Amino acid sequence: MNSKESCRSELRIAIRQLSDRCLYTASKWAAEQLIGIEQDPANFTPSNTRFQWGSSSIRRRFRTNEITSTPIAGVSYVSTPVMEEDDAVDGDFYLLAKSYFDCREYRRAAHVLRDQTGKKSVFLRCYALYLAGEKRKEEEVIELEGPLGKTDSVNRELVSLERELSTLRKNGSIDPFGLYLYGLVLKEKGSENVARTVLVESVNSYPWNWNAWSELQSLCTTIDTLNSLNLNNHWMKDFFLASAYQEIRMHSESLAKYEYLQGTFGYSNYIQAQIAKAQYSLREFQQVETIFEELLRNDPYRVEDMDMYSNVLYANECSSALSYLAHRVFMTDKYRPESCCIIGNYYSLKGQHEKSVMYFRRALKLNKNYLSAWTLMGHEYIEMKNTPAAVDAYRRAIDINQCDYRAWYGLGQAYEMMGMPFYALHYFRKSVFLQPNDSRLWISMAHCYETDQLRMLEEAIKCYRRAANCNDREAIALHQLAKLHYELGRPEEAAFYYKKDLERMEAEEREGPNMVEALLYLATYYKTQKRFEEAEVYCTRLLDFTGPEKETAKSLLRGMRTTQSGFPSMDVEHFSP
Amino acid sequence: MAGIVKPPGEFSITPHKVSVCILLQIYAPSVQISLPFPFASVAQHNRLGLFLLALTKSCDDILEPKLDELISQLREVFGVLNPRFVDHLTTRLSALSSPDDLFNFFTEMRGILGGPESCALEDEQVILDPASNLGMFLRRCILAFNLLAFEGVCHLLTNIGVYCKEALSSCASYETTCFEDSSSNLEAFPEYENMDLENFVFKKVTEEIEARKRASERVSFHLHAPKALFDLVEDIEAPADPKSKHSDKVGETSPYVHPPNYALKEFEPNSGIFLRTNWQIQGYLQEQADALEKNGSSFSLNAFELILRQLHKLAPELHRVHFLRYLNSLCHDDYFAALENLHRYFDYSAGTEGIDFVPPASGSNSFGRYEIALLFLGMMHFQFGHPKQALEVLTEAVRVSQQLSNDTCLAYTLAAICNLLSEIGVSNTAGILGSSFSPLTSIGISLSVQQQLFVLLRGSLKRAESLKLKRLVASNHLAMAKFDLTHVQRPLVSFGPKASMKLRTCPTNVCKELRLSSHLISEFGFESSTMTTDGAFSTAWLKNLQKPLGSAILSQENGSGSNENAFQFCVQPSSIPGSVLQLIGSSYLLRATAWELYGSAPLARINALVYATCFTDASSSSDAALAYVKLIQHLAVFRGYKEAFAALKIAEEKFLSVSKSRILILKLQLLHERALHRGHLKLAQQVCDELGVLASSVTGVDMELKTEASLRHARTLLAANQYSEAAAVAHSLFCMCYKFNLQVENATVLLLLAEVHKRSGNAVLGLPYALASLSFCQSFNLDLLKASATLTLAELWLSLGSNHAKRALSLIQGALPMILGHGGLELRARAYIAEAKCYLSDPSFSGVSLLVLLMGWRLRSWILKTHCF
Repeated sequence: MNSKESCRSELRIAIRQLSDRCLYTASKWAAEQLIGIEQDPANFTPSNTRFQWGSSSIRRRFRTNEITSTPIAGVSYVSTPVMEEDDAVDGDFYLLAKSYFDCREYRRAAHVLRDQTGKKSVFLRCYALYLAGEKRKEEEVIELEGPLGKTDSVNRELVSLERELSTLRKNGSIDPFGLYLYGLVLKEKGSENVARTVLVESVNSYPWNWNAWSELQSLCTTIDTLNSLNLNNHWMKDFFLASAYQEIRMHSESLAKYEYLQGTFGYSNYIQAQIAKAQYSLREFQQVETIFEELLRNDPYRVEDMDMYSNVLYANECSSALSYLAHRVFMTDKYRPESCCIIGNYYSLKGQHEKSVMYFRRALKLNKNYLSAWTLMGHEYIEMKNTPAAVDAYRRAIDINQCDYRAWYGLGQAYEMMGMPFYALHYFRKSVFLQPNDSRLWISMAHCYETDQLRMLEEAIKCYRRAANCNDREAIALHQLAKLHYELGRPEEAAFYYKKDLERMEAEEREGPNMVEALLYLATYYKTQKRFEEAEVYCTRLLDFTGPEKETAKSLLRGMRTTQSGFPSMDVEHFSP
Repeated sequence: MAGIVKPPGEFSITPHKVSVCILLQIYAPSVQISLPFPFASVAQHNRLGLFLLALTKSCDDILEPKLDELISQLREVFGVLNPRFVDHLTTRLSALSSPDDLFNFFTEMRGILGGPESCALEDEQVILDPASNLGMFLRRCILAFNLLAFEGVCHLLTNIGVYCKEALSSCASYETTCFEDSSSNLEAFPEYENMDLENFVFKKVTEEIEARKRASERVSFHLHAPKALFDLVEDIEAPADPKSKHSDKVGETSPYVHPPNYALKEFEPNSGIFLRTNWQIQGYLQEQADALEKNGSSFSLNAFELILRQLHKLAPELHRVHFLRYLNSLCHDDYFAALENLHRYFDYSAGTEGIDFVPPASGSNSFGRYEIALLFLGMMHFQFGHPKQALEVLTEAVRVSQQLSNDTCLAYTLAAICNLLSEIGVSNTAGILGSSFSPLTSIGISLSVQQQLFVLLRGSLKRAESLKLKRLVASNHLAMAKFDLTHVQRPLVSFGPKASMKLRTCPTNVCKELRLSSHLISEFGFESSTMTTDGAFSTAWLKNLQKPLGSAILSQENGSGSNENAFQFCVQPSSIPGSVLQLIGSSYLLRATAWELYGSAPLARINALVYATCFTDASSSSDAALAYVKLIQHLAVFRGYKEAFAALKIAEEKFLSVSKSRILILKLQLLHERALHRGHLKLAQQVCDELGVLASSVTGVDMELKTEASLRHARTLLAANQYSEAAAVAHSLFCMCYKFNLQVENATVLLLLAEVHKRSGNAVLGLPYALASLSFCQSFNLDLLKASATLTLAELWLSLGSNHAKRALSLIQGALPMILGHGGLELRARAYIAEAKCYLSDPSFSGVSLLVLLMGWRLRSWILKTHCF
């Protein structure tokens, strides 16, 4: 990849510029990517590899397809970020303002820069004002809590900021950072279309500001809006697209993008975590676990995305690993929603649901819009058989994000628990609509149709068929399909599905009551179909099992031989004492 | 949609409440503080009291009025000539410039509350009883203030500043005080903190005002039509006497009825908008729900949705909003939105707020009341015309409420199922209703839908009676009467002699059943909450402020204006809850239908008239339309089409917005009749086809309309002399009616078949049909139809030959009293003709020529009358 070195130099300059403008998140992100770029073996020094995964096994395991392609459009259109600097006098004020800003005295910072006209100063002043407004807003949210919930407080700086920035934009004296801030303000005010245009303008002229990209991404909720963006080609665009694809649930596309980016940023923790996220959505838990183990080894104090790791550990029921993780994040930063969520997961795994709810509550107090905490809390309430509370929690999750299929699914489950299967169907329908490739959802829905109250077996069959088509891990669908067909008096279909189920069990080397049931059914079925050879095969296999079925198989065999030979029963056993 | 209002929640102090407190101080000045100015008269004093009461109780809006709105209201109450109130209010408000001022103000307010020991006061002193409405209000304000943290006090101060500034920025004299405020209290105005130039503050304010103006223009442009509709709704709401309502509709130019331009408030980030008290908002929602029901789809979807959205933003924990959204989308046939909102509402509220009469405390309460959600979902599916889903859901509701032993919900669900079964043609419930469902199916007897319905009705009635659900009992009696009207009750297990057949379709019986339902009116007393009526009073009073505006200035001098208003305040809204009125109204409608079927036109007309005059205010628009339809039909039969069409025009204007209404159907019916009579067969066929299209609508199958359409089709064919086709259509119609147990229609169809055979010259074939129709009529007490069947029978006999003339004559003469008394123009004419024919064909009759001449003369006069057909 030719651009590694250029990427590196671009990022180095960008980091300086970003942190100069107090865009710390963006500069953090950029720095992470800078370190993530694979070193050339030529200037390979031991000190450089400290943070890198030279000895990592993960790459050998998961990167089978080495990507050797060039970037999509060849060369990027802007190579190095060049920004003009304000003059020296401004510079002094600017330094003071930046110091104030760093001490989080935003209004003071803005005041220092009140008469400065340089682009950098203007940006910092506006940005400081914006943050001051945000801070005040947060405080007011708590102060103004009304009798019927929180009243909607707004950032009071937005109006004046919008006015100023729009004038600047009209004059053409606005830099990409100003545009980013303008986009942010517009988004807050609800004019999303303009915000999108402005942000696109910003990232097109200065692509290294990850903040702008993520704002833009939050404004692209459908594939159509995403495709309608007029973005110039740059490697940052690939990062953006990957994360946007993930957000609109195009997980495999997203994964492909990230794997492509790994060609350049081979050691980026960010990309690793994002890949883990995509794999998690595709339910490849084993891979996710491996990735997170690696991540933690390289970055032991990381808290971001660790809640997902805890979910995986929870699903795999590794309670000791989960407790280790919980302890680690707790020591790192206990007042992060992620930490609380991990601890909640741990207690949930331990069956202490009250404590678990307490930690999820704490997570929600720290961030009211923390989606997964609402959903997980709903699960806990379900465990505690407190369905109304569960319903409430799930519903709040849905109101935060309409597309959270887990919450819809949870609602369905809650209502099914209350004996309202028909009502629950609405929610199951919603969840399968959002996640049509998840067999568990289809199976739950089918189960709902199957309940004694509804007995809508045809619909249940349809659902099971969908479930069987999308990689049903627990292999419930095939068995149920066979059973349902049998109940509905369709022997051919039943035999077909029993046979499939049997094949599958053979392939996975599982045995159990299902196996016996399938064999028995197939034996009887083929016997009635007068296909004695097949029937005999199944009967003989049945003889390997103990229990009443063995006797049934024997008598079946006997009966078949009788009819086959046309003679009266001449079994050997008959004569043996 | 009556519902229990949530217990009034917390109470927060807002600038508007501070203004009301200031006015309260004028109303009841304490001993220490001398009255700033005397009242002109006692009437004026009372008027202020009433005004304050109305301010604290009215539920015509969700937001508190701004200062300028309050001022203009004050001006209207007391006239422009009396500006002292306004002056006092504004000076006091702008004097509140530091937290300490607020503290002092509320301490001062405490002084005007009369304590228990304050009996030794002179006569002139007005004491505010702490237990009175206003006293309670004041106490709550003081309490709320005392509970405020310092941040809260700061916010209140800021908000008072904004509140005054908004109102006074146009008024130059107050600018200075405002500036003092803003500069001395930078702390309190966080939005100006960064600005050290005072000029800039002022510029900013004016700019903001301009921006707001622009926004409002933009919005009103978008919402032009809905706004107009909304206004219409608003003034229909005011339940004044019809005369003033009419005048109101013509000249809606009152200065302070602010159109619902809430949208613009959404874009204002920092203006002081505050919700009214929880109590007032609940009242508002209640009123809107009633209005939605009353006006149906004429209620503006978007305007109301905007309000609801804003309300949701301001009070996210007020889940009722979702319910209102559901109602709104239900009224506008938005299936997906309705479904979504219904689910959301019940997910949040768990069914513990909302429905009538749910006893709040019971063992199962902690698990929520989701069975109510099922009940509502079932009714929603019913409304959208998905009878199958509705039945599924309602069955589930029955099961769940049995499990949770929620008898109230069970009773309601059963009633809903009855309603569903009786309204929508379901030929067979076997696959739908579970086997465990009705007690009888478990015995192994298969029941027809009607029998099931009967069992359900009985069960539901019994349950409702034992639970003392008054309204449900009443509506069950109504349903029972409806059932009696159209179905003969046979013993469920029908062996034994037919003597045990009870006939209850007789209208007197129906009326007996109906009378059981109107017991309700005497018993609603302890159910209705005084809260809602209070709110309605206050709303109405405030609304009426602008009405006598023209005369108010003149009458202000002699004080009669205020008296008039006080009088209106007492009489205006009727004290009977709307839902009760509605039930009683529908009993009248049912009575009208009963008499119509029975054949007593005058009684049917009277009942419909009673409904149209007394109950239209409380009824839903579709019921009112039905009453009009009945009256117009009566007109068409007895007065001819000219008058009927004139009346139809009026009705169409009144029920303009209801798209798929009965009015439209009526119009088609009338057009069809007229076309048939005039022999415009093509037109008749066209109209008939249109009716058929209406019958096959997407929202469920309306059996009544379907039979009507094919009946008319057969008649058109008959008129075109296509006998075999007509007979075929009538025959298939008969099969359908038989399948769905529509027995009244059966009689009509049989009669039609007899008619077809008569016209085709097959009198012998027609006879059995006529006889069968006759026996149907007898068993259902359909007297008028019986008379016309007798007439057809006589005509059939007559066409068999002159030797049957005597028999025909005696038949006709037997039916004549009924026909002359209750029959329409056409039927009477037919009877005379048949009678004359009889006389003519009877050779033995003497003095034929004279009689025939007489008859001819009578006939001619009839035909002259009927010429307007």
